Amino acid sequence: MLKKLIGGILITTFTFGQTTANPQFSVIGDLVIDHLHKNTSLLSSGIEIAVQGYVNPFARADIYLHKHNDDSPIELEEAVMTIERGLPFGLGIRAGKFRPDIGKINQSHDHLFPYIEAPSGMTKILGEEFWSATGIETNVFLPLPWYSNFSLSYFDSGIGSHNHSDYEKDEDDHEHKDDHKDKDDHNYDDAEKHHGREKQANAFSVRWSHFFELNDVKHLELGLSGYSGQDEGILGADLKYKWRPNKYRSLIIQAEVLQHSLEDVYKEKAVHPDEKLTAGYAMVNFQFNKAYNFGAMVDYWSLELADDEGMNPSIFFGYSPVEESAILRLKIGQLEDEGHHKKHLKTTVQIIWSLGPHKPHRY
Amino acid sequence: MSSTTDIADIVKIIGGDHVAVTSIARGNQDPHYVEILPSYMLKVRKADIYFMVGMELDLWAQQIIDGSRNRNVLVVDCSVEINKMEVPTAQIDASMGDIHRFGNPHYWLDPENGKLIARIVAQKLISHDSKNADQYQANLNQFVKDLDSAISIWTKRFSNLKDKDIIFYHNSWPYFSKRFGLKTVDFLEPKPMITPSPSKLNQVIQRIKSDGVEVIASESYFSDRAPKFIASKTKVKIVKLAQSVGAIKGADSYINLFETNLTILAKAYGVSYD
Repeated sequence: MLKKLIGGILITTFTFGQTTANPQFSVIGDLVIDHLHKNTSLLSSGIEIAVQGYVNPFARADIYLHKHNDDSPIELEEAVMTIERGLPFGLGIRAGKFRPDIGKINQSHDHLFPYIEAPSGMTKILGEEFWSATGIETNVFLPLPWYSNFSLSYFDSGIGSHNHSDYEKDEDDHEHKDDHKDKDDHNYDDAEKHHGREKQANAFSVRWSHFFELNDVKHLELGLSGYSGQDEGILGADLKYKWRPNKYRSLIIQAEVLQHSLEDVYKEKAVHPDEKLTAGYAMVNFQFNKAYNFGAMVDYWSLELADDEGMNPSIFFGYSPVEESAILRLKIGQLEDEGHHKKHLKTTVQIIWSLGPHKPHRY
Repeated sequence: MSSTTDIADIVKIIGGDHVAVTSIARGNQDPHYVEILPSYMLKVRKADIYFMVGMELDLWAQQIIDGSRNRNVLVVDCSVEINKMEVPTAQIDASMGDIHRFGNPHYWLDPENGKLIARIVAQKLISHDSKNADQYQANLNQFVKDLDSAISIWTKRFSNLKDKDIIFYHNSWPYFSKRFGLKTVDFLEPKPMITPSPSKLNQVIQRIKSDGVEVIASESYFSDRAPKFIASKTKVKIVKLAQSVGAIKGADSYINLFETNLTILAKAYGVSYD
């Protein structure tokens, strides 16, 4: 029903809000190569197509499509109308399919990550390609002396409908078939496996974020997030500090933690009904030249009752020779083999290029 | 609100005590690339008028204005009356670097254009706040008079800069050079917004040696590295100029920006300017 309603809004708006001005078209291509277990492989390759523009003086539309370089169909990542002007009380509305305002990282597209791949702990909760759902969000500036934004969203499906195949994907990645864990009596693994796997009806998310200008070149952003779906809930907190004295230097410190808990109704599917999956990451990224940056990240997750946890530290390096139109990234990190806790060294190289106004912003 | 400090200073002069104006970009910041901070949206939320540079220099401004959710803000493009330079006559693309399709957007660096900006500012302030129209008109008249007087004095005092060869880091200065008679012979950037390459630096070094170029000037936000490298290989003098109000010491107002820049150049060339 909600999908029909939002579809109707978008079609109506596009039909009656047409102008002679064309929207902006952009393409971002990426190629990721990784080296693990003495094997070098093409991890992913594809393009993101963005179509963006104003629908009318009050609303804009953003559509993101993704095509992997394989036989899979084109995926609709986002198709969202945003109304930011014209509403009373400083309200803003987003409607359509979009990445919900939960946590800091969920709204970021992959090409924005200086560390190439999304932190594995966060993908256990938000899904391999993060949570994108059809729904409606309303947000408002709170009347405080600093920037404070509160958003409340409703979706017709929860995180589970989005990341249905994460576990299997983890299992298949990097040909770890010889290392498959014994699942016969490892129920905790099943609990982890089911985190966010099943189709979830109706979900809500909230986020309260604050932004402080400490001075002209130092900024601090703090956020709290919550999610409630059928039989599951998420609480999260995030922090981002940025120092950017000029165009040749910048420092970003970012950290985020999410805790995913299951509720009673989900008992049948989860071995531990009270289990909590906690995931987080902390990242430091330093730009030391107009074109170069390097940093480090620690990615962490734990299952409380299962007494199971994992941590993957990594370092990364980036080179952007011509502004933001092309980026070369390198990451060297530890990859922990789940279940057996074997640690491997993984090297990843990413090449990103962009065409059009939707650039892969570095900072 | 305004995108840059230059326009903010003109708004302050025309508006006087009746306006409070803030610039999004700092004077020493590259106006091509301004990060869109949430706090900027909060500032624009309280604004009655937003003065943009236009000509696609401050493309970031629209996102700030949209994000502010300010239903009533009047957005004013200050470039509408400008006689634009370097408007492309053929198809442009990214292989040419950062070319602006509506022409070179650094028009405020000609003081004559400062008068055009001031007229637009006054017109919008008068239509928005008609009860203080007389004051805005009087401030405009005084500003135009001051600027005319200053331009006349600068033209005489800095006449020795006329026809001097100069190399700029970035192509921010065609309006300035045309007004004061400087001859731009090259840029350090091989193409607009592309970092100087070793081959380009070598080419510039050869040109300085063969043509006897005396000065390289750059915007305050660029690194000194490339100019210093060239200076170490030649006898060229390197200077930083104020591309906007507040960019360097002394350039604390729109009129002082020109006074400061012209004085720096006159000293670099070793010509008299009193």
